[in-house]
Amino acid sequence: MEAGVDDAYLVRRAQEGYLDAYAELVDRHAGLAYRVALRVVGNHHDAEDVAQDALVAAWQQLPHFRGQCTFSTWLYRIVTRRALNRIQRQRRSVSLDLIGDVADCSAGPAMSLERDLIMDAVTNAIQVLPPAQRIVVVLHHLEGLSYADVAAVTDSSVAAVRSHLFRARRTLGIALEEWR
Amino acid sequence: MTGSNHAARGSYFSDGSRELACGAAVDDVLEQVADGDGEPLSEHQQHCAHCQAAIREFINIWAPVRELADQPVTVPHRLQASVMHQIDKLVQDVWYTLELTDDGAMRVAARVVATIARDTARRVRGVRVVLGRTTDTRVADLVAKATRRHRHQNAGIGVLGRTAVIDLAVAVTYGEQVHQVAHEIQRRVKAELQENLGLQTILVNVTVDDVLPRPEN
Repeated sequence: MEAGVDDAYLVRRAQEGYLDAYAELVDRHAGLAYRVALRVVGNHHDAEDVAQDALVAAWQQLPHFRGQCTFSTWLYRIVTRRALNRIQRQRRSVSLDLIGDVADCSAGPAMSLERDLIMDAVTNAIQVLPPAQRIVVVLHHLEGLSYADVAAVTDSSVAAVRSHLFRARRTLGIALEEWR
Repeated sequence: MTGSNHAARGSYFSDGSRELACGAAVDDVLEQVADGDGEPLSEHQQHCAHCQAAIREFINIWAPVRELADQPVTVPHRLQASVMHQIDKLVQDVWYTLELTDDGAMRVAARVVATIARDTARRVRGVRVVLGRTTDTRVADLVAKATRRHRHQNAGIGVLGRTAVIDLAVAVTYGEQVHQVAHEIQRRVKAELQENLGLQTILVNVTVDDVLPRPEN
């Protein structure tokens, strides 16, 4: 696919039934969907399920997408909602033992290195944040979205995003300070 | 709790303190570091040892979060294929029955026809981008009704016999004769589908809806 073709063009075409236009959008944004899902749900298995569900749901909801925001912002919203649902189900089914799986998947000799332990500590610290704080940390500090974009994705206000971030950063600060 | 105590114990967060010794809010300084790597320093911070020490410390504390953000995440190789496979199942396929015998029907999925048409069109000079689709549901229904009497019992919904209707959305290179490019696409796609799939009646609708600059190479 030509690099000169933007997402908006592909979205319009996909809405008209050009399946390969949507296939190109999936190629471009599967990484985003999977990355966010992984950071929020905390394990590869659920992250793949969430990303897959979100990308299929985006196809189904595409006729209702009016282009008020970018396709990626819209996809962020779908992924985060599905990821939230997943972790809420995890809580109900007491499957929090899955947390930490992200680090386990990269297990190997390098695990003994302090750097990897610190990475695990950050990952785990994010995983134990309350869901609302976890999502804004993932979207703002890991994905680089602005406060306004995070507010748009999470259907909240900039003030609420800042408030969640303040509390989340303090919690992370406590966890990370122990590694200093 | 004061900044001097922070320095003594080396802790800014554990005791729940909210201010540095100078009165600056710990959370504001942490936000400054997390969002902007500690820059720019305010007038107060340029002359405040407490703030400068806290900023240096917070940069170190926050470094693993930055590192995590920069870490590449490997996407499962099957993810894109799984998504498109699921979507294929959701999309009502129109089948083209090519051979009808007493042994059954040989069918080629509509999306295969669309893919061949698209790839053929991409090879036409002056074409930059092609997206292909087969008949939309509305057209497929009309053709299905028209061909109902001829449908083979093994055939799927919307059987078109040896007939295909292809829609191609095309972006051409700036400066090319759009009319000629469109005609050449129709000619080659028809020839390719007749040759490779044995389709007989082929309609190729070409929509040129964008013009892109000539590639630099």
